[in-house]
Amino acid sequence: MNSFPPNRASTIATSLRCELPNGVVALVQRNAIAPTVSVYGEIRVGAANEPPEKNGLSAFTSAALIRGAGHRTFQEIVAITEAVGASVNAGGGMHSTGFAGRSLSEDVALILEILSDMVRAPAFPDEEIEQLRGQFLMALREDEQDTSVRASRALRSIMFPPAHPYSRLSRGTIETISTLTRDDLIQFHRLYHPAATTIAVVGDIDPAAVIALIERFFGDWQVPGTPPQVTLPDPLPMPDQRRIHIALDGKSQTDIIWAVHGLDRRSPDYYAASVANMILGQIGIGGRLGERVREKQGLAYYCGSSLDADLGAGPWTAMAGVNPAHVERAIDAIVHEIRQFAAEGPTEQELADARDFMTGRLAIGLETNDSIASTLLGIERYQLGLDYIERYPTIIYSIDRDQVVEVTRRYLDTDDYVIATAGPPEPSVS
Amino acid sequence: MIETLSHTLRNGMLVLLREVHNAPLATNWIWYRVGARYESPGITGISHWIEHMLFRGTPQIPGHDLDRLIARNGGTFNGFTAHDFTAYFETLPADRIDLALRIESDRMVNALFNEEEVEHERTVILAEREGHENDPEWWLNTAVMTTAFQVHPYRHEVIGSRDDLLALTRDHLITYYKTFYRPNNAVLVLVGDFDAHRLMSRVEHYFGDLPAGPPLPPIHWSEPEQQEERRVVVRRPGPAQYVQIVYHTADCRSPDFAPLLVLDAILSGAKSPAFSGGAQTNRSARLYRALVETRLAAYASSTFRPTRDPHLFEFHAMVQEGHTAEEVEQALLTEVAALQESGPRPDEMAKVIKQMRAQIAYARESVTNQALMIGMWEVLDRYDRADTLLDEIAAVQVEDVRRVAQMYLTERRRTVGYFLPL
Repeated sequence: MNSFPPNRASTIATSLRCELPNGVVALVQRNAIAPTVSVYGEIRVGAANEPPEKNGLSAFTSAALIRGAGHRTFQEIVAITEAVGASVNAGGGMHSTGFAGRSLSEDVALILEILSDMVRAPAFPDEEIEQLRGQFLMALREDEQDTSVRASRALRSIMFPPAHPYSRLSRGTIETISTLTRDDLIQFHRLYHPAATTIAVVGDIDPAAVIALIERFFGDWQVPGTPPQVTLPDPLPMPDQRRIHIALDGKSQTDIIWAVHGLDRRSPDYYAASVANMILGQIGIGGRLGERVREKQGLAYYCGSSLDADLGAGPWTAMAGVNPAHVERAIDAIVHEIRQFAAEGPTEQELADARDFMTGRLAIGLETNDSIASTLLGIERYQLGLDYIERYPTIIYSIDRDQVVEVTRRYLDTDDYVIATAGPPEPSVS
Repeated sequence: MIETLSHTLRNGMLVLLREVHNAPLATNWIWYRVGARYESPGITGISHWIEHMLFRGTPQIPGHDLDRLIARNGGTFNGFTAHDFTAYFETLPADRIDLALRIESDRMVNALFNEEEVEHERTVILAEREGHENDPEWWLNTAVMTTAFQVHPYRHEVIGSRDDLLALTRDHLITYYKTFYRPNNAVLVLVGDFDAHRLMSRVEHYFGDLPAGPPLPPIHWSEPEQQEERRVVVRRPGPAQYVQIVYHTADCRSPDFAPLLVLDAILSGAKSPAFSGGAQTNRSARLYRALVETRLAAYASSTFRPTRDPHLFEFHAMVQEGHTAEEVEQALLTEVAALQESGPRPDEMAKVIKQMRAQIAYARESVTNQALMIGMWEVLDRYDRADTLLDEIAAVQVEDVRRVAQMYLTERRRTVGYFLPL
């Protein structure tokens, strides 16, 4: 068993956690590795809170926060932060809106002040909204010709009903982004709530002084009512081995995504599924899938698997990028490996390797200010407790072979899967 | 300044060790003085292919054991091939760093070039290349590089040409490996939570007895002076128009290197000295204000990197719908002309110096990035420039920036590329 280096576990366990009267949770840790600081925040409001016809509203609103806030214009915000080598940003995910900044530690007050303005008092100037819309639309046009984005969109539309936010990507579509109005942004911003907000600050700072700064900039933020809740509709039953291909001109490679319904982060199966996914398609260069489809058969540049476990159950996927002439062989190989994994389970060695990796890598995963701050946010999001990193090795080592086999059979060993491919129209000869 | 312990082994391998005790981690990087810069037409892509083969293992550590060993010990590892170097690293809990020394000393001399695995890797690399081909900007960059460089191997993509990838043989790979992978062509860099003197004896243990090879073949390429502006257009399916403008400039040992780096920062913010990460610093800079804020371009940026031989100062932009590549080119050239005319303002100079100080500090949060900076500077010039870069930049004057803008960003040194969607 990997013994966990104690001074890294304590990086999390000794963090200060402070809940302000308005519900904002502050998590602060000193990390003196460099004269720098990272601020990570999130508000638990995201694309899951937007209506289907306004897909992208959450992402668009968050991207607009920086474009004028408090008494500063966008150019004033970037001028004042970039003048000291700092940066601030915000972005919207499926269940949360993230905001972040990094600076030299001497400038942490400036970063917190500006992030507070962005979150609490965005101006949403018309001119800036149009500017941002232009950038969003250009990025979405690039997406239209991006094989992995197209395969992912196709997959989600098959697996989830239109009312389910997971049927869409949080970045929106050309159609929906084109029609969003300033009023839509103002309405969506009203969902931001202090009691749904966490701020983590990690760096070469004095924790008590930083808590005082967070109180100063976020302490008097009041929003009436309670934070918005999300109820996710049921996903669609999986059709029997449905295939969909998106044909794109001028492409040389085909992206393949195989998917089934997975599980949510709070599922009792979560840790067993994480270990199973690690062995199937992550550890080393893509686990068994990487080793057998990429390494042994030389079929793909990349091949692996991914478990999207959030507040709701996202897809559990296997993916590969292959020459168009190898698509059928690669799909056969992926399906074969998944079946075989479900049938025989992991070897004792594979299980031991996965456990050692998942616990041992925490040291690397907690090195930088960014990585510590984002770990703190995740711990707060799922209410894991600041002793989580100390408990984690015990959790992972308690997952036995039978649990891995059971979870694999339950979720992955099925004929009801979906395969989306995106690439050239006709298979070409290698 | 943080102390670096430097020692050259009897076989000629330079070892650089730096103790950093903030986290219980250590990183091990090995840098080989070989890359696409060392390749002639016919063998393009061979350096990168060797990098792939070094992950296929040795008789002592078979390929699938390699990644399992690293994973089991809670580590991460990877390899990079560039024009000027090939580098491999392992980052591990500090008490496991011996493993990295064992792996790298073993695969420096014992890599298997199993016939079947060579063929598998050919397919994998062709698939990697096809992945690049899915990106319109890759096509534009390829066309611009082969136009700007007519002789120097900087004209070739690191991954190699499709024809060469189909034609290269196992014998080519083995000969190349035996030529360049040897201690006297390598630099070993370790940074982390260890005792440097004790670790040096472990390094001696693993690498000290490896035989030095004969002197390396001299590599000298000289790109003929460009005589007039060159232009190239790529027409393919794609979502938008893209513009890439490049100018022949200077290598990292030139006295003009630091002024050019400042020029780049004035145009689009100071960049991270590591391969990725850092703070976004472009949105108050000149190109963003002139092209993105005016909605001519969805993005616009400049790039200037340290290289062994003179490379390029580059501009990249994606044209906003409703505008044209010609308009974006004009806007970029207007910004160049403004700097040639008036140079940067003093407040811009102060800003980019602080940005660079911050970017270096962010990169230092990670031992992996610290070793990257030390090793990269050693293979390009001298390792201590990783620590003195900020002083070099701070010494740059407004007039230096104006001078290098006038000297290098000229029509005669310029190649302009457009990507126009079909």
